[in-house]
This record gives sequence, C-alpha cells and structure tokens, in this order.
Amino acid sequence: MVGMSNRRKALYVFIFIFATMLGLLIFNVYPTILNTYTSITNRNKFRPYPDCDVTLNNVLVPFCWPGFDIPQGTGGKFVIIEPLKENYSKILGDVFTVPGMVNFGLVLLCIVPIVVAWRADRRFDQQIERRFSRGVVWLLGGSIAILCLLVFGFSAWRFLFNSGDFMAVLLRTIIFVILRVPLTFGIGFLMALIVTSPGLPVRNFWRLVLFIPWAASSVAILTSLIWQFFFREQGTINQVLDLLFNIKGPVWLNNPFTAFGVILLVDIWYSYPFFMIAILGAMAAIPNDSYEAAEIDGASYWDQLRNITMPLIRPAILPAIVLTSITAFQMFGTVWAITQGGPTAGAGKPGATELVLVYGYKQIFQLQNYGSATAFATIIFVLLFIATMISLRVSRLTRGVNE
Amino acid sequence: MIRTPSRKMRIVQYIILVMMGFVAIYPIYFALLAIGRPGNSLYTLDLAGMFFPTSWSWDNMRELLFTTPFITWVINSLKVATLTVILAMVVCTSAAFAFSRFEFYGRKSGLTTMLALQAYPGLLSLSAVTMVLTAFGLYGKHLGLVFAYTTIALVFCTWNLKGYFDTIPIDLEESGMIDGCGPVQSFFLIALPLARPALAITALLAFLSGWSDFVYASALVPAPDSLKLAVPALYGLANDVGVPWGQFAAGFAIVVVPTMILFLYLQRFLESGLTLGGVKG
Repeated sequence: MVGMSNRRKALYVFIFIFATMLGLLIFNVYPTILNTYTSITNRNKFRPYPDCDVTLNNVLVPFCWPGFDIPQGTGGKFVIIEPLKENYSKILGDVFTVPGMVNFGLVLLCIVPIVVAWRADRRFDQQIERRFSRGVVWLLGGSIAILCLLVFGFSAWRFLFNSGDFMAVLLRTIIFVILRVPLTFGIGFLMALIVTSPGLPVRNFWRLVLFIPWAASSVAILTSLIWQFFFREQGTINQVLDLLFNIKGPVWLNNPFTAFGVILLVDIWYSYPFFMIAILGAMAAIPNDSYEAAEIDGASYWDQLRNITMPLIRPAILPAIVLTSITAFQMFGTVWAITQGGPTAGAGKPGATELVLVYGYKQIFQLQNYGSATAFATIIFVLLFIATMISLRVSRLTRGVNE
Repeated sequence: MIRTPSRKMRIVQYIILVMMGFVAIYPIYFALLAIGRPGNSLYTLDLAGMFFPTSWSWDNMRELLFTTPFITWVINSLKVATLTVILAMVVCTSAAFAFSRFEFYGRKSGLTTMLALQAYPGLLSLSAVTMVLTAFGLYGKHLGLVFAYTTIALVFCTWNLKGYFDTIPIDLEESGMIDGCGPVQSFFLIALPLARPALAITALLAFLSGWSDFVYASALVPAPDSLKLAVPALYGLANDVGVPWGQFAAGFAIVVVPTMILFLYLQRFLESGLTLGGVKG
C-alpha cells in the first residue's frame, strides 16, 4: 500500500493484526512463559495451586491476579524452589557431570571419521584424476567410525541411557527418527518410481490407494487402535500365524524390541505416502528432454535414476526430509494408542517405546509432576527451536517474507 | 523416465504394487468388516471372514448409536470444529492481508516468530494452557477448547493465506485505491473474493485440525460424557474392556472414514505445494 501517512498505516496494521496477536499472546506466548516459569517451581500433584504471596507467583500465575480466584480444592501451594535448576538436574541426571561429558565426547568423537571422509571425498572430487575412489574413502571413514563406536559406544550408551530419564527418552527418540526417516524415504521413492513408470495402467487408482495411510494418519490415534488390535496377543497376526504355520506368535507388545518394531512399522505405514507425494511432485517438474537425451546417449535405467532423477529431486526433497524428521521427533498418537509407552523395564523407568512427547504426556497427565515435566518441555523446546530454525533455513519456507 | 520397463520388471512392479496396496488398504477394510462381526467373534479366526463379510449383523452399529452417547459426541465435535473455523478465519484473514500488503516494522520478525512459536510442542504446554483456561473459567467447556484450537490454527492460517495473498497482483488494489478504496474496502471487496479457493482449503484444514485432535480434547474437556468430543470418546470406548471392539469399528467408520475422504481430496492441493507447510508429514 502506498500513499498513506505513517500514522494512518500504523492504525490500519494495528486493526488488521490485533486479534491474531492477542490470541497468540494469551494462548501461545503466555502459556510458554508460564510453562518455563513452572519449571523452576515445585508444582506437582500435591501442590497444584500457587502461593500468591511469593514474588513472581503473583505476577505470572493467573490465579493470583486481582479478579481471579484460586480454584477450590485441597492441596498445598507451590513456590519457587531452591536451587532453581533442581528440576533440570533431576531430569538430566548426571549428563553434565565430568563422566557424562567424557562419555558424550567419546561418542561425538566417532562422528569425526565420517566428517573427515565426507570432506576428503569432496576434496578428491575436485581433482582432475581421483587418487582414491569414493568407495575406498567412505569404507575407510565408515569402518573407523564403527570401530570407534564398538570401543566407546557401548559403555557410553549404557552410561547415558542410565543417566536420567531425559537422555534415555531422547536417545530412543533419536534412534526412532534415524530409523524411520530413511526407511520412509526409501519406500516413498520406490513407490513413486513404480507409479510413474511409463505404461502403467490405472495409474491414478494406485496413487489413491497408496495414499490412504496418509489420510488415515490425520486421526492416527484411532487408526493405530486397529494396528494395536492386529498385534495383540490374540490379535489377527497371531491368529494367522497359528492357523497357517501353527506357530504360537510372540506377545508383540510386551517385548521391548518387537514393541519398538511395531511402532516403527505403523509410523512408516502412515508416513511413506507423504514422501511419495513429495517425490511425485518433484519428479513431475523434471523435463522429459533430459531423459530423452540420456536415452540417445545410451544411458541405462540406473544411470538415468542416479544422474538425472536423484539430483533433480534433491532440492525439493530436502525440506520434506527436515520437516518429517521434526514431526517424527514429535510423534505421539501412534505410540499412545499402541503401547502407551510400554513395556517398562521397571517401575518409574520410561518404557521401551516412550518417545519424547509420550514421556511428557505421562509426566503431565498421569504423574502430574508439573515441575519436572515443564523442565523437560523447556529443554525439548530449545532442541526443537534449533531444529526449526535450521529447517527454515534449509526449506526456505520464509523466503516469501524477504521478497 | 520414458522407457517402458521390460516384462520381468513389470511383473516385479505389479507384485510390489499389489502388496503395498493391500497393506495400505487392509487395516481400514478390516475395521469396516469388524462392524458386522458381533461380540467376541473377532478373537476367533475365520480366514474367509478376514476378507469377506461372511456374516453380518448391525448390532454393533445399533448399540453404538442408541446405547452410547455417540451422536452427542459427533455433534460436539462438529460444533467445536465449526466454531474453530469461524473464529480462526475471522481473526486470521485480516492479519494475513496485513502481513502480505503492508510494509511495517516487525513484519518479517513477526512472521518468523510465529513459526518459531510452533516449535513449542502443544502437548507439553498443556498444563499451562489448562491453568489459563481455568482462570478464565473455560476449563472443561467447549468454548475453551475452541480458543485453544483457534490459536493452533491461527499460525498456519496466517501463513497459508499470506502466501496466497502474495500471489494476487497488487495492481487490482492499486486501481481500486485510485477509485477511492481504502485498505479495509480493498481487503473486503477485492482481496477476499479473489482468495476464495485458498480460504476454502485453509478453512478445511482448520476444521480437520479441530475435528481430528485427541490430546487437547481429552485434556481440556475430560468429563462428563455428554461434553466429550468424538475422537477421545471413541478412544475411550475402544479401551473399555466391557465394550465389544466392533462398536469402536462402527464409530471409526463414521468418524474417520469421511475424514480420510476429505484428506484424499486435499491430496492434489498438497502436491501443488499450497499446503505443504501447513500439514504434518
């Protein structure tokens, strides 16, 4: 809009965005602040209400504001705890002690050979005559990394896993993401290739059918209950195993490994169509001329796949990979419907499928450990915030802003 | 790819397609079949019954509709989701317009901050949201839920619509301004009518986000039965040992299958990238 005085423009902007900003402030920004504040108090099941005489309580907690009442109920009052970081140290356990950092450092050290191999590979690529082939470089880097993990990994892993709930839950979630995203991508890519293969009859029918799981994922909490039924002790899968092969199937959801596998499988089922669609979109943008030219030059199917399709879909797929990694990290409904985070190794320990949000949900709603749950939330927020900023960079979702 | 695959490849392709297609469809089909299987017959295997409706009874459906407050739950859900859409659209279209059309201090940072706020997982801030709603006297009421959903919808509504407004040429509004249109008029008379397709998609997504939510609905309106929303109530029904699983399947068919059809319809917009940022992967 041009030709408006500054004051009038400010007035219009204010009118236009006022309601949105107000809504976000009350129900988004303020709860975030309140949550962060709760993480330095001792609020829990037995102390649900604020002690309004304490500074900060009377400013930040809505019950203490003039005109608002503290809800009626029995229970003590929460105050700020001393030392302030107590909730955080309870959750983090001994990660930030000297042995924790040493173990952390050792694991990080194992990434170094991979990075070196990557850099070296780039360097060799620039040479006119490659001195070492790509395979040799990566094999060397990879085997050193695996060797390093074998030497340091197990003890570090055990230490970090037992160092407190936070690390156990976080590592488990990271493993989940690392397994899920490539598998999902692989299946999505394969299906996209098949669906676009020339001469395939009823292409759109297959597309629609393959897309059904994604549509079902919108109500993942209910659809997952069907999967849960399949994998019950007397569920459909064990019935079929019994009938066809006369095997007594395992109790899938009581074994940590199979339970984790079931979660992984169901989540892959939900999310491969997203990749399939993203890849289909990217492939549609590749001009046919490239393939025709390659065909004339005698390039094989694999050559075309490796040298035309893959590099050309990469810019479109990278943002999708980052986005799914973040959503996979925040997976909740599937786990909650199928295992509720179980099976647990012992009382009070997070279960084998207890991913980040499942842990948070249990802490808040079942155990009502508000103090430590919000401390957990704050740490997760910092991690997700960094990941989101990186993803905005990579996906250039905000590029419209800067134009 | 332009080359038609060889015969052998084609057969492999078909095998994969049929297998994946089966896996994609079967869970949903299984639930639809379970509607007609009474009581505990789901626990005894009947190989033909896994694929075809060998015997069919409407008992599950009848009991769901007439002995549980299922219809009330669906109406509650429809009500909350519809109110969410109305509130969110009324509030966010003008903000999206302002972000698209005005140059003002804090515009870029405002838009980015909105996305950054989304990094706080909604589930984890629920204890604080509950506190805020309790203070306002809205905890356990549908209106509180509507406010919570609207806030979630606001960010992606604003982003989606801002993106669409950006694609509408500003020339139209400029010529309107020459004829004496102020910003408010150009918003209502020029931009909004032109943005109708984007408005429809955004409203649909906002509706689905409220309709299919579990966490907020179960936490903010936990009781009584007559106020519950369809998704958390059905979840409770499926985990109730005394209720046959078939009743859940009947509810699944009524609540989830239409949602899925809507999503399948939305697929082509997803492909064109219009909503890629607004939906989960």
